[in-house]
Order: sequence, then structure tokens, then C-alpha cells
Amino acid sequence: MEDTLFWSRLQFGFTITYHYLFPQLTMGLAWIIVFFKWKHLRTGDERFGNAARFWARIFGINFAVGVVTGIPMEFQFGTNWAAFSKFSGNIIGQTLAMEGMFAFFLESAMIGAMVWGEKRLGPRNHFLATLGVALGSWLSGYFILATNAFMQHPVGYSTAVDGSLRLASFSGFLLNPWAMIMFLHNQCAALVTGSFVVTAVGALYALRGKHAEQASLFLKTGTLVGLISCVLVAFPTGDQQAKMVAQHQPVSLAAMEGHFHGGTNVELNFIGQPNVSEERIDNRIYMPYALSFLAFGHLHAKVQGLDDFPKDEWPTNIALLYYAFHIMAGLGTIFILLMALANFQRWRGRLEKSRGLLWALMLAFPFPYIATTAGWMTAELGRQPWIIFHILRTGQGVSDVVSGGNVLFTLIGFTGLYFVLGVLFLFLVAREIAHGPQSISADGKMEVSHD
Amino acid sequence: MIETWYAILTFMLVMFLVLEGFDIGAGMLQHIVGKTEAERRLVIAAIGPLWSWHEVWLVGFGGTLMVAFPNILASSFAGFYLAFFLLLWSLILRGISIEVGGHIGEPMWRTAWNFIFVVANLLLAILIGAALGNIVRGVPLNADGKFALAFFTNFSPYGNVGILDWFTVSVAVFMLVTFAAHGATALVLKTEGPVHDRSLRLARRLWKIVLLLLALVTFETWRVRPELFSGMTPKPIAWLGLVGVIIGAVMIFTGLRGKGELRAVLGSSLFIAGLMIAGAASVFPIMLHSTLAPENSLSAYKNAAAGHGLVIALIWWPIAFILSIGYALFIYHYYLGKVKASEDTQNPY
Repeated sequence: MEDTLFWSRLQFGFTITYHYLFPQLTMGLAWIIVFFKWKHLRTGDERFGNAARFWARIFGINFAVGVVTGIPMEFQFGTNWAAFSKFSGNIIGQTLAMEGMFAFFLESAMIGAMVWGEKRLGPRNHFLATLGVALGSWLSGYFILATNAFMQHPVGYSTAVDGSLRLASFSGFLLNPWAMIMFLHNQCAALVTGSFVVTAVGALYALRGKHAEQASLFLKTGTLVGLISCVLVAFPTGDQQAKMVAQHQPVSLAAMEGHFHGGTNVELNFIGQPNVSEERIDNRIYMPYALSFLAFGHLHAKVQGLDDFPKDEWPTNIALLYYAFHIMAGLGTIFILLMALANFQRWRGRLEKSRGLLWALMLAFPFPYIATTAGWMTAELGRQPWIIFHILRTGQGVSDVVSGGNVLFTLIGFTGLYFVLGVLFLFLVAREIAHGPQSISADGKMEVSHD
Repeated sequence: MIETWYAILTFMLVMFLVLEGFDIGAGMLQHIVGKTEAERRLVIAAIGPLWSWHEVWLVGFGGTLMVAFPNILASSFAGFYLAFFLLLWSLILRGISIEVGGHIGEPMWRTAWNFIFVVANLLLAILIGAALGNIVRGVPLNADGKFALAFFTNFSPYGNVGILDWFTVSVAVFMLVTFAAHGATALVLKTEGPVHDRSLRLARRLWKIVLLLLALVTFETWRVRPELFSGMTPKPIAWLGLVGVIIGAVMIFTGLRGKGELRAVLGSSLFIAGLMIAGAASVFPIMLHSTLAPENSLSAYKNAAAGHGLVIALIWWPIAFILSIGYALFIYHYYLGKVKASEDTQNPY
């Protein structure tokens, strides 16, 4: 049993982390492509048409890996977390089924036409298909986040005679305030990923002196969307998310911050190592009063510490949770600075000549992926030891008929298969980037290159 | 309410098997009906831009099963653990081979992905067939309503069974041939030239084998679960399903003999739908039959989610369904008629 729980947690953690590398780019890039398509439709300027086609090809590869790695996620609820599914399926099944019925049907119908069907559909309907994919991907995001929000902050349920959960208020469940804030925070983060990737490719072309027109378009769009989304991801959405955690999961906030002993006038730790056995932060740099202010809005507010809670309700891996949260918040701050600098240089008309900054922008694209992963680790580790906060412990949710060895076997299988998918993905995307956004007309024929 | 949700789930399964059955069937025949690389690409073009829309019916089925019958989902998904992951991995490889296989024109790249595509489709057909066989035969449910299946035990369909025994293997072979026949029939409609001619010859032969195997599997089912046949007599929907099978078969054979290509495809879909409806109606209300003791079986009535949630879902489900069909029709109407090799290349340079 213990084995099954450990390997099932690792398998879900690994497959969801890997899977989410792809949808975050899908959700961020989709609206940037919609923007290019819209400009192309309005102005007829082929620069935008070429940009849309180039990014749609990368989008298609990314989307395919996202789809195939996404299917195992839904099925793992049943295979590995049968007790959890049985206990809460009537509630979380609603959003999981709605994701399939409302979002996946929309995305899956439109994606083929979006990537390969520009000529068949004509400009207007091809724009609509692209818009459909973008809407579908965000809808899907909302439904899955509403599912997660129920696990973080369960609302709208009642308990049936057999002890399992039943839906009591559909609107309460679907419009969970936690889901709304998490959705805004998460979608802004997806836009950060999308804009950093567009910026990085623009910087690459600018540095190599190739595709100058497209490089400048990518840099302009990427840094502008980047700055706006970087600011929004921190404030107000990240701030509100933290306040939500402070209010509903005070024990998680204490662990995220390494705040072992409760009190008033609480400081915010920037740097330091949590020493869990001694219950303190070693070698820290902190800002006085800041946590009280950020969590509750005034400098002297009382913030509960870990010692205000029984030990069996503490998150199970405090050190990892602390680091994940600090990596996310630290990277988020650096992103704002980097994008502010890039926009400042662009405003002065110097961006395409600032080689140092271009190098930084090009090499920065992996970091939003790290930040979103760390953010999700914060959310999921912070919820432990519960699978549904204060209702069901993670250990009670696992499938008891599945042996640990079976889960280890499938985990190894996923590791191998996903390694191959990763290599394939990088190879195909690198090939598209190497080829570049040269004029490919709508019917797929390459025009003579002027580069 | 419970009957309605059982019917919706059956409907979603039918949609999945008919639509995805075409992709699987056409996919596994890729090397038989397509001899040159261009002909093989034609098979993938015929599957078209909506293969993932077809697959979403399975995802929708899983989610809907969770809403309506969470106990059944929990018991069966955990019980079929390893088989489920084989299914998922086959779906991953099949999807990836469709999406990336055409990206590069290099012959060895194409050959490798074509091979993966065919093998993944064969595996999918066998796994889906074996799963259906397991539902009909039953699984070793204990008194807690749980089971864990080995791939095989002693190949006997009684008592402590495994996933594979002589009965479920026969059903798997039957479904494999049925998918192949269904795929070949659809390829007749969607292609022209040599692929069309080979598919037509193949479809005519395969449907005859399907009918022979259907007789065999029916006889075997009568040996393994005789009570299903006596239980079927008072159920009009099961008879309706059987009428669908017969009309479907007639449409297939008359359609394939003359110029009725569309009629044959509709007949083929009706044949599969009729079989599933007859099967689903005759096992109802038992969703998972226990091979160990009949009182361990999981019934739809005792394992449905209660109350409010099902009413709510009955409001949003039809809306989502109509939207979904609308999206598919919007796309389908651009892809009507026979496919041509030159269209929609994935390899623009």
C-alpha cells in the first residue's frame, strides 16, 4: 500500500508536470497567433500571415504532444486514484466530463484545419478555426482548474449516506472563487511562457541577422505581451492567489514561507534554507512586516505559523514546498525586470542592436517553464497531506488493488516513452525554427526566399 | 435517470467505436491497401483532420462514467490497470505517428512512422476487443466490488479469470476483423484509384469473415453467459439493436456490390452500433458481472451517483453535444468527397 501510494504520487506528478509543459505554450501562443491572424485579415499584410503560419506549425507539433500526453491524465484518476474517484467522482467528474465535452471537442475539431487547412477554409473561416482552438484551450484550462480548485478549497458539496461526496450546488462548485483566481493567475503565466518563446525566437533571428522583418515583429509582440503578462501574473493575480492561500490554507502558507512559529508583525523571507528539524530558516535575508502585509493587508497582522497546527496536518515536504514557492516568486520578479528593460530599449529603438539583451532574451525562454512548474509544485505540495483539503487524505485516495510494482512498471514505461517524445519534439521544433518564417503561401508552397 | 445515463454512455461508446473504428481499421490496413508511399499517405489523409475529435469520444465517455457511475469507473479502471496503460501508450504512439509521420519526406522516416502507426492500430483493435469481451464475460469481482486482473490465468472464462482467455481472445479477433472491414468500407468511400479498388476487394471479403466470426462469438457467448440470451427476450431495445445489425449487414453487402459506397459506410456504422446496443441492453442493469459470485456483480442501479449532480449534467450534456456536432460539421463540410494525395501536405518544404 505504502509503495503504491509513493509510486502513484510520483507517476501522477511526473506525467502531469511533463504534460503541462505543452498546454502552457498552447494556451499562451494561441492568442498570439489569433492576433497575427486578425492583423492579417484586417490589413492583408503578408508579414502577419507568415508569422501566423510559422507559429501555427510549431503550435501544431506542441499541440500534438500535449494531446497525447493529456489522455493518460484523465484515465489515471480511475486507474491509480480509484478510491478518490469513487469518493468524489460525482463532483469532479462534472468538470472532467465538461472539459471533454465543451473544450476538447472544440479544440480537436478545429486544430487540424487550423494547422493544415488555411487554403481550404479561406481567410475568414480559418481565422474562426484558430479562434476556436484558442477558446477551447482556455475553456479546457478553466475546467481542469475548477477540478483542482475543488481539491484545494472544496465548496458546493454534501455528504451522501454512503459517505461519498455529492454535488450540492453546481454554481458554487463551478464558480469556486479559488478556481477563478487560480485560472487568471495560471492563464497569465501561460501568456508569459508564450511571449517568452516568441521573444526568444525573435532574438535568435535578430542575433543571427536572419529574417529581419519577422525578428522585429516577434520581438515587438513578444516583449509587449511579455511585460503585460509578467506584471499581471504577479499583481493582482499572484497576490490574490496568495491571499486565498492565507485565508483558506494557512498551514500551506506557513510552510511555503518557512514560517514555523506564529505571531504578529511577520517578516517575508527572500532567501534562506528551511531547517525543518530545528524549525527555523538558516542564513536568511528577509523584509520585516512584509508577510503580514502581503497576506492580510496590514503590517501587524497575525500570521499563523506551522506550530499553530497539528503536525499530521503539515505539508509532507516542507523544504521542497518552500523552495518551489521561492523559485516561482523569484523568477517572476526577474521576468518583470527583464521585460521592462526590453520594452525600454525597444521604446528607444535600440532593442535590436542590444546584443547582450538579445542574448538574455533568447536564453530566458526555459525559465517560464521552470516558474510554472514550481508554481504548480507549490499548489500541489501545499495541499498535502490531503487529496481534498481537510476532507480526504492522499493515502485514502489511492487504488488499493494496484500493486506498487505495477505502478513502478507503468512509470518506467512513461519515462521511456516521454523521453522519446521530448527528443522528437525538440528535433521537429528546432527544424521549424532553423527553416524560419520564410514566405510560405497559404497553399503550402514555398515562395522564393529573399533572405 | 439511471437508464438515461446508461443510454448516454452506450451512445458515447458507439460514437467512439464507429468513428475511431474507422481510423483504427483504415490504419491497420495501411500497408495492405497502400503499396507506394503516396498511397499510404492517402490512407492517413482519408482519416482526415478529425481523428482527435473521434478520440475525444473516449475521453468524454470516461468523464461521463465518472459523473454517473463513479463506483464502476473506480472498480474497472483500477482492475484493468495494466491493460489500460497499454491502451494509453498505443493511443500516444498512434496519435504521434499521424502527426509527425508526414513532417519529413525522408523515406526511412516515413517507413518507421508508418510501421508504428500500423502496429499501434492493431494493438488498439485487440485491446478494445478484449475489453468488450471482458465486460461480456465478467471479471473476478470480490465482495468489496473490486478486482485486479492478470493478463491471463488458465485461459478459461470461468472463475478466477485473466484478461485473455479463449472467449475474450475470440471477441478480440472478431473486433479486429470488424474494425478492418469497417475501415476498408470507409476507405472505399473516401479514396479513388488503386487504394479504392484494393479496399473494395478487401471489404467484400472481410465482411464475410465478420459474419462467420459473429456466428462463432454468439455461440461462445451462449456457452459462457447463457443467461444473457434468456435475459434479452423481454428487452425491446436489444431486439432493435439486432434489427440494426441485420439492416446494417444488408446495406453493407448491397452497397459494396453496386455503387452505394455511402450506403455501405452507413450500414457498417449501423452494424457496429446495433451490436453494441444489443449487447448493452442485454447485460443491463449489471455493468460489471462477477465471475466468482453473482451477488458481487455491480449493478447500475446500486452504483449510480445520487441526485442533483445527474440532473445538472443532463442539462449541460445535450448543449455540449449539439455544439460538438456543430464544430465537426463545420470542419467536415470542407473535407467532403474523395481525398487526393496532393492536398494538405504536412511537409511544405
